[in-house]
Amino acid sequence: MSLAAEAFVSQMAAAEPWPENATLYQPLKGEEDQILLSDSASSLAVQTYLRMCGLPVQVVCRPNAEYMSPSGKIPFIHVGNQVVSELGPIVQFSKAKGHSLSDGLDDVQRAEMKAYMELVNNMLLTAELFIQWCDEATVSQITRHRYGTPYSWPLNLILAYQKQWEVRRKMNAVGWGGKTVDQVYEDVSQCCQALSQRLGTQPYFFKIPTELDALVFGHLFTILTTQLTNTELLERVRSYSNLLSFCRRIEQTYFESKDS
Amino acid sequence: MAAAMELRCWGADWGLPSVHTDSLVVLAYSRFSGAKLTVSHIDWTWKTLTGGLPELLCGDSIVQEPTQILSFMRKQRFNADYELTARQGADTMAYIALLEEKLRPALLHTFWVDTENYTSLTRPWFASRSPFPLNFIVPSRLAGMALSRILLTKGEAPLHRISEIEGKIYSDAKECLNLLSYRLGTANHFFGNSPTSLDAFVFGFVAPLHRASLPSSHLQSHLKQLENLTHFCDNILEVYFSSDHPCPLPLPPPAVQESMDANLQKLTQLVNKESNLIEKMDDNLRSSPQHKPHRLDPKPSLSSANSSTPA
Repeated sequence: MSLAAEAFVSQMAAAEPWPENATLYQPLKGEEDQILLSDSASSLAVQTYLRMCGLPVQVVCRPNAEYMSPSGKIPFIHVGNQVVSELGPIVQFSKAKGHSLSDGLDDVQRAEMKAYMELVNNMLLTAELFIQWCDEATVSQITRHRYGTPYSWPLNLILAYQKQWEVRRKMNAVGWGGKTVDQVYEDVSQCCQALSQRLGTQPYFFKIPTELDALVFGHLFTILTTQLTNTELLERVRSYSNLLSFCRRIEQTYFESKDS
Repeated sequence: MAAAMELRCWGADWGLPSVHTDSLVVLAYSRFSGAKLTVSHIDWTWKTLTGGLPELLCGDSIVQEPTQILSFMRKQRFNADYELTARQGADTMAYIALLEEKLRPALLHTFWVDTENYTSLTRPWFASRSPFPLNFIVPSRLAGMALSRILLTKGEAPLHRISEIEGKIYSDAKECLNLLSYRLGTANHFFGNSPTSLDAFVFGFVAPLHRASLPSSHLQSHLKQLENLTHFCDNILEVYFSSDHPCPLPLPPPAVQESMDANLQKLTQLVNKESNLIEKMDDNLRSSPQHKPHRLDPKPSLSSANSSTPA
């Protein structure tokens, strides 16, 4: 959305409280697995953030969620008569409604939080996309089948190839086109090491849970619980024990207690 | 000692040792860590056609990309980061990611996509530094690469149009500059008393924006209000690069009322943000002729900020 439209929407958003029937849309998960690693991670991050704020949201799976989204990215939420996609705008949107997790931070801490969020987006998300779409083994065995599951032949193949081409272009533009899978695993390790060093022995990255915790949890939990062609990525993340206990803690606090 | 290292990069101008962001990062880091580099400017050679600058040649190996060059130099034991704690090292990675994601698209746009800046500054500079007939090819190729990078990373599919994301990338960049300014505070360097790789990266990104004489850039005017960042750049130029440039900048007098300045700074940043927002809303309203005139007057809070902004 353009800057003026965003400002307008946030002014309108501030007028209404959070409704009961807010919904979050993501690709199919469960019976017909369409959702991919990166989308699942982003969706889980948003769900965690909304649970942290105490905002109720229903998760709805649709095969064309990607095309419904205003920016083409998963997940997006439908609240009242507004549609907002991606964690950044959703955080701003909930802030306009008066729910914010990072108000207690001072300027320097907020700068750090934003910097770490960009680190996760820049490294972890790009690495996930690379492994899904640019690593031949994963693409042919897992991604192509999953991405086109709800569609019949030949549409499923066409859509999968189109998306692969798009992601490859993006990788070339940011300079990841020439990397090998091993280099990408190395980058993921470095990113996890940075996160692990920042977290240390604290329960959360800052004194209170913030959107950074939601984002990191979303990505790490998905990596830890998703089966890929090999367990290299899993092992690399698992080698950082404080990140493992961080994920377990958030899962217990926000997901197990709420489920009946 | 290690074999002699040679760095190939774009040339110098505007009071900077190089006008190219990535080259500046490597040059600054080499000064901080005490590495001796022979710098060969590739202006006026056919090497301007090959991309992948800056390049470090050491013996038989060629290293590209600033992060890889920096880690190569660290392996050769030119390390400016050895005093950092593990957590500060993690912070460095995070801030570099912030610069890449938020600031780089806006810098690419300011120098390569914005028509006024491109035609009056960037294109003549790069064209004049390339031999015939490359001076026709190189600037437009670099501009095309910049545009595609912005669109692919920030553009919202399927409408890859630059006008829709301009506002967003500039507001992200201004926010990034503000965050850097908060983090730097009143210190001379980001960590402790000696410069590190984060200082090199911030210098590389911010210095061209600070020094280039851009005809139209609200990002540059926003930067000029963040005095600690401009002092940071000037300080590094003064201390580490002054032997190359015979005209050092006079250091500004030390700020006496620091807290008042900080508050004034925050106020100007807020006002700037608001006035920018109003400008954009205004432009949007003017450019949409068929808009129904319901509920389009700005809310009272915005209009009061409007009246307080100095014209």
